[in-house]
Amino acid sequence: MSNSIPSELKYTKDHEWTKIEGDVAVIGITDFAQSALGDIVFVELPEAGKTLSHHQAFGVVESIKSVSDLYSPLAGTVLEVNKDVINSPELCNAEPYGNAWMIKIKLSNPAEVNALLSASDYQNFLSTL
Amino acid sequence: MSILKTSLHEEHLALNAKMAPFAGFDMPLQYSSVKEEVMAVREHAGVFDVSHMGEFYVSGPDAIAFVDFIVTNDFKNAEMLKAVYSPLCREDGTVIDDLIAYKLATDKVLICVNASNIQKDWEWISSKTANFNITLTNLSNDYSLIALQGPKAELILRDFGVNIPAEFPYYSILETVHEGEKIIVARTGYTGEDGFEVFSSHDYAKKLWSKLIFNGVKPCGLAARDVLRVEVCYPLYGHEISDSVTPLDAGLGWTVKMSKPDFIGKAALEAYKPKYQLVKLSLERGIPREGYDVLDVTGQKIGTVTSGTMSVVTGKGVALALIEKAKVPADKKYLINIRNTNYEANFHAKAFVTGGHK
Repeated sequence: MSNSIPSELKYTKDHEWTKIEGDVAVIGITDFAQSALGDIVFVELPEAGKTLSHHQAFGVVESIKSVSDLYSPLAGTVLEVNKDVINSPELCNAEPYGNAWMIKIKLSNPAEVNALLSASDYQNFLSTL
Repeated sequence: MSILKTSLHEEHLALNAKMAPFAGFDMPLQYSSVKEEVMAVREHAGVFDVSHMGEFYVSGPDAIAFVDFIVTNDFKNAEMLKAVYSPLCREDGTVIDDLIAYKLATDKVLICVNASNIQKDWEWISSKTANFNITLTNLSNDYSLIALQGPKAELILRDFGVNIPAEFPYYSILETVHEGEKIIVARTGYTGEDGFEVFSSHDYAKKLWSKLIFNGVKPCGLAARDVLRVEVCYPLYGHEISDSVTPLDAGLGWTVKMSKPDFIGKAALEAYKPKYQLVKLSLERGIPREGYDVLDVTGQKIGTVTSGTMSVVTGKGVALALIEKAKVPADKKYLINIRNTNYEANFHAKAFVTGGHK
C-alpha cells in the first residue's frame, strides 16, 4: 500500500491530518485512510459554526461497504466546510491532502497542537499496524 | 477453531486482496475497487472464489424424492439437468438455509448451501433421511467452486474449450470433462447477470482461476458480490431470511409450492400469516445500512433495514428492509433513520437493477 505522508502536516492515530495556519486548522483524512476505506461514496460534514471538542465525532465518510466516523483532532469552531468533497466524495480517494480537505476550524485551545503526531511519528505508527 | 482457507487462498494473497474472515474462512473482500469489480460483472465478466460454500451429495433411488421432501420449492417436477433455488425449512416453517439443488441424475442430486450454515444444514438433513433409500455425503471440503459472472462469461468458457451445449439456458447444469478433469458446470450465480458456477477439484480450480486472471477477467471479492445481489434484490441468509422468519415473510412465496403432496414445513406454512413484508427502498442522499430503523411518515418505527449499500449502478443508497406486516403503510411512504435524522425513501416495486441473466 503506498502511503504518502506530507512532512508539513500533523496527524492523529485516527488517520486524520491537520494543517495549522495560525489559529486555524484544516482537517482531512490521510492517504492511508482513503486507501483502507476503498471507494469513498459519501461524506457527511457539520454546518459552519458548530463547536467541536477534542476528539469529537464531527462527520462520517462511507465507502460502498463501510461507515467511518471522523474525529476532530483539535477543539474549535467550524469556520468552513468543503462542499466539493460532499458533492464529489471520490475526491477523498484522488486527493486526500489537497482538494479533499473536510473542514476548517478556529482553534479554541491551540496548545493541543503539540499533542499531534509529526509526519515521522505517523509513519512509525503506521508501521506498527 | 482455526480459520479455514480455500484452495485459492495463495492466489488471493498474490493478487493483494483485502482479506477478512467470513463464515470461518479467510476470504477476499476486494482486490482492486468494489466499483470496478461490480461494473466488470455487469458489463464484461468477473470471477469469484466461492469455495467456502458447502456441497452435499444425495445419491440413491430416492434422491429426488428426498430433496423434494426437505425443500419448499418443487424439485420433483424440475427437468433433468436443471437447478432449483429453494429455502430449507423446519416443521414450523422457519428458514434453516436457502440452497440450490442440482438434478444431475434420477439417483444423484448435488446441493449447494451457504458456508455459514454447512454444519447446521448437514445435521438437519442427516436427521431426515429415515424413510428414504439414499446416501448422503458431505463433500464441502472436496470441492472448489468458482463463479464466473457477467455477459462475457459464456464466451470465455467456450474459448477455454468447456463443452457447453448450444442450448444451455439459465439454471441448466452439466457434468463434463475438461482438461482431463470431471467438473460440474451450472449456469447459476447470485449476481443477477448471466454466468456460470464451476464445481471441481482444488487442482482444477487453481488452473481455471489462473487462466481466467491471465486472460484479464477481473477477480471480484465478497464486497462486490454483496452489492451485486442487493442491486438485484436477492435475499441473503442471516439478513432477509433467518431462523426467525419464514419464506413468506421475505418475498419468497414463489419458492413455497403448496401443490406438492408433502414437504417439511407444509402444514405450518399453509396456516401461516406473514409477520413481515420485504420492501425495496432507495435514498436520494445517504446510504442505508443493515440495522437502521425504517419509519412511516408519522415517525413510527415499522421495520428494519436488512441489507443496505451504495448501488454502484444507480449511484444511490439502496436497501432491503423487513417491515411489520400490520404496519406496512398504504401510501408507500417510508423514512429511513440515519444517525438520528429521518430521510424520505423511494419505494421500488421492482429490483433496483435488472440483471442480464438468460
